[in-house]
Parts: sequence; C-alpha cells; structure tokens
Amino acid sequence: MSAEGLIGLAAAIAVSLATVFPGLSQGKTATAAMEAIARQPEAAGDIRTSLIISLAFMEALTIYGLLVAILLLGKL
Amino acid sequence: MFFATPVYAAETAGHGAGHAPLFTPFGLDFLAVSSVVTTMWGLMIVISAASYLATRTLEKIPNNRLQNFMEFLLESVMGFLTQITGDEKRTKKYFPLLGSFFILILASNYSGVLPGAGHVPGLQAPTSTLSVTAAFAIVVFFSTHYYGVKEKGLAYFKHFIEPIPFLLPLNIMEEFVKPLSLSLRLYGNVFGEEMVVAGLFSLLPLFLPIPMMILGLLFGLIQAFVFTLLATLYISTATAGHH
Repeated sequence: MSAEGLIGLAAAIAVSLATVFPGLSQGKTATAAMEAIARQPEAAGDIRTSLIISLAFMEALTIYGLLVAILLLGKL
Repeated sequence: MFFATPVYAAETAGHGAGHAPLFTPFGLDFLAVSSVVTTMWGLMIVISAASYLATRTLEKIPNNRLQNFMEFLLESVMGFLTQITGDEKRTKKYFPLLGSFFILILASNYSGVLPGAGHVPGLQAPTSTLSVTAAFAIVVFFSTHYYGVKEKGLAYFKHFIEPIPFLLPLNIMEEFVKPLSLSLRLYGNVFGEEMVVAGLFSLLPLFLPIPMMILGLLFGLIQAFVFTLLATLYISTATAGHH
C-alpha cells in the first residue's frame, strides 16, 4: 500500500470511471438523435447540430477525469 | 532517445518546453516570455494581416478570394449564433466579441497541430495552458455582467433571487462555476490531445500519432464552436428582453 501504488490506482480509477458513465450517456443521446432523424429527415441539420453540442458537453466530463489522472501521474 | 515510460516522455515534451521562459525582456522576471506568448503574437499577426488583406478593396460582390472566404466564415458563425439568441439584430450587436472568440480559439487549437509544435522553442498552442483559457473565460464572465447591466440597469441583479430568494447561494455559485467549466473544458481538450500525441509519439514515432491528431483537428473545431455557443447563451440570457 505504498503512496505511489495508491496514486497509480487512483489515476486508473479516475480515468476508467470518467470514461464509462459519459460513454453510456452519449450512447443514449446518439440513439435519441438517430430516432429523431429517422422520424423527420428534414430536420436532420438542426438535430445534427444539437447532437454535436450535447456530445461536447458530455465529453467535457471525460476530459475532467483525464486531467485529474494526468495531474496525479505527474506526482508519481 | 528512448524514454523509460511514455508518461515521462509526455511530461518532458509537453510541460517543460512550453512554460519555460524563452527570454525576459529588460531582465524583469515577471515579464518572462514563453513559447505560448510568442505563438499568440504570431497568431495575432496572422489574423490581423488576413483581415487587412481581405478588406482592402471591399466590394459588395467580392471578387477577392480572401474576402469571399471571410464572408463565408462569418456568415456561417452568424447563422449558428442566431439560432441561440433568436434575433439577428442582437447577434450583430455582440458579434465582434463572439466572432473574435471563435476565430482566435479555432486558430489557437489548430496551431498545436502545426509541425514542430511543442518541440520547437517558440511554437506551442496557446490554449494548451490554463492561463489562456482562463483569460477567455474571465472575459466572458465580466462581459455577461457588463452587458446585463448595460441592457437592464441595476434591475439586472434581481435575477439572482428570481424564482425563490432561497436559491440565492445556488445562483451565485452557478455564476462562478460557469467560467470554471468553460476554461477547464477547452484546456482539458487541447492539453489532453497534446499529451496523448506525445505519449503515442514516444511509443512509435512513425504513424501512430496520426489518428489522434486527426481527432484533435475535429475536437479543436468542436471546442471552439462550443465555447462561442456557451458565451452567446450566457450573454443572451443576461440581456434577455421582457418576458
């Protein structure tokens, strides 16, 4: 249970958890967007723009986790 | 040169080169100029020169290719922003600030993909440091409140206690979290991409970083777009008309 071991473990857990949950949410968002486009193809442009923006928000949460992991590894 | 671990390589490649001062003008320590600052100067010169060249012979139907391209770029940005504010006149009023954000952040994100960025002393993407992105976020923070007060007078501060006065601490905290998330999102995307490229580069320098760099191009555009969109959203909710 050395300090370096714990730091390494913390970095790994940070990045993995930060990838799993936003990944699930982005999947649900993409599903809803594809169903909306299939239902009404004329609105595809608007839906695509909203989809990209929503994905960027969820991506930011993953990036926060990656930042924490990089900062932790810097202390290793 | 083979580094012991990819992380060590990424650390020395990304961290040391960009933040170590290049030169200190007049010998004053707090005016130290680093690679990030010189890249920002370069971007300022390039964008100003392009703007000057595009508007030298301004015509209604442009036969100047640069002017055509600039008009296309600005028209598309204006179209996106009008979808948020809902009113073209309001978009035009705040467009100098928001359009400049978009162009500058896009250019900064793409300057990190130029050959030699991060290794050559003097070239490092400005948005890969927290200082630059926090500066952008602070500008957005102050401009929302400034435009809100300019538009609605001092009654603008009533929106903090708007639905229920009980929500006052939550609203104040939200006002401070907004610039924090803006700066961290942009910084994390650009810095993270740079780190991953440096790590992949130390594993196999030949073709391995290319997919990540292509992803970096895509994300650079998306992040510039999202930053401008959020800034527009904040400013337009601060200056919203009567309900």
